[in-house]
Amino acid sequence: MRRHFLILLSALLCGLTVVASAWARPVSYPEGWTGLTMNDGRRNSLYVHYSPTADYSLGYKFEYWREAEYTVHALQINYLLERRNRRDSQASWYLRSGVGVAHGDRAGGDGDTTRTVAYTGVALDWESRRLYAAYHNRLTEAGDIDSSFRQSVRVGVAPYLGSYGDLHTWFMLDASHAPESDETLAVSPLIRFFKGTHLVEVGADQHGDLLFNWVARY
Amino acid sequence: MMKKLSVLLITLALACAPAVHAGDNPIRVEVNGLVCDFCARALEKVFDKQPAVAEIDVDLGKKVILIHLKDGAEIDDALVSKLVTDAGYGVVEIIRHATDE
Repeated sequence: MRRHFLILLSALLCGLTVVASAWARPVSYPEGWTGLTMNDGRRNSLYVHYSPTADYSLGYKFEYWREAEYTVHALQINYLLERRNRRDSQASWYLRSGVGVAHGDRAGGDGDTTRTVAYTGVALDWESRRLYAAYHNRLTEAGDIDSSFRQSVRVGVAPYLGSYGDLHTWFMLDASHAPESDETLAVSPLIRFFKGTHLVEVGADQHGDLLFNWVARY
Repeated sequence: MMKKLSVLLITLALACAPAVHAGDNPIRVEVNGLVCDFCARALEKVFDKQPAVAEIDVDLGKKVILIHLKDGAEIDDALVSKLVTDAGYGVVEIIRHATDE
């Protein structure tokens, strides 16, 4: 049953990937700074990055993974692999990789441990003014603290089309798949508000864990 | 007396006249990939750094930006195209002497 579910989920993710769109652009405009915090049932994170060009960004990321109870301090680079601009849509494909240190107090069950951590993954996004889809994944290797694969997919629709500078609202559904986690699948309906330089997302998954994300770009 | 009154009326008329939009003949650029506020802000940030540019208007519905130049300033199509491309978007067409429509 579980195998069938995973196959089905993989097929769904692959299908969505074709039209996918990344939910939080990992690269900003040239010389743009971005600060963001992402919080849900799996992790809390704080991330600041700078984009020298529209092709890549460099930044510092802090993460706290709740289930495994470990923290990450990492330098992350995001690279725009491909972008397709169309009259009514845009699609982008990014590579996101980081390296740093992971510190956990449950590694091997023998107390505090610090390990080198490295992670990499792809993020794809597709969006029009009305519709939105995104997929991203990540392979993390931190020795006996964490060795895992995670992936997420998100779809959204804008109930109205605002002009530049208006408050933009999106209704979204986010599905997060973490095979090694106790909670393999987390599905979170959420609302995104976007105005000016700020983006806020609020939601909750089926386990009752709240989702709160905030992004600011300068 | 009449002369002073005339000067006063002319001054008032000038003061009350609608402000002329910087750059009477904006450059109209049709852009591919202009689908969100973030895209609009990216283009605004890039063009605001140009000394020749007074301001830009973004119309997400029409996927168009209007570039208003400072008085006497000029910017060529190649640079406009480069700035849009460097910001991560695509140029469909650049139209000179466009109206604000």
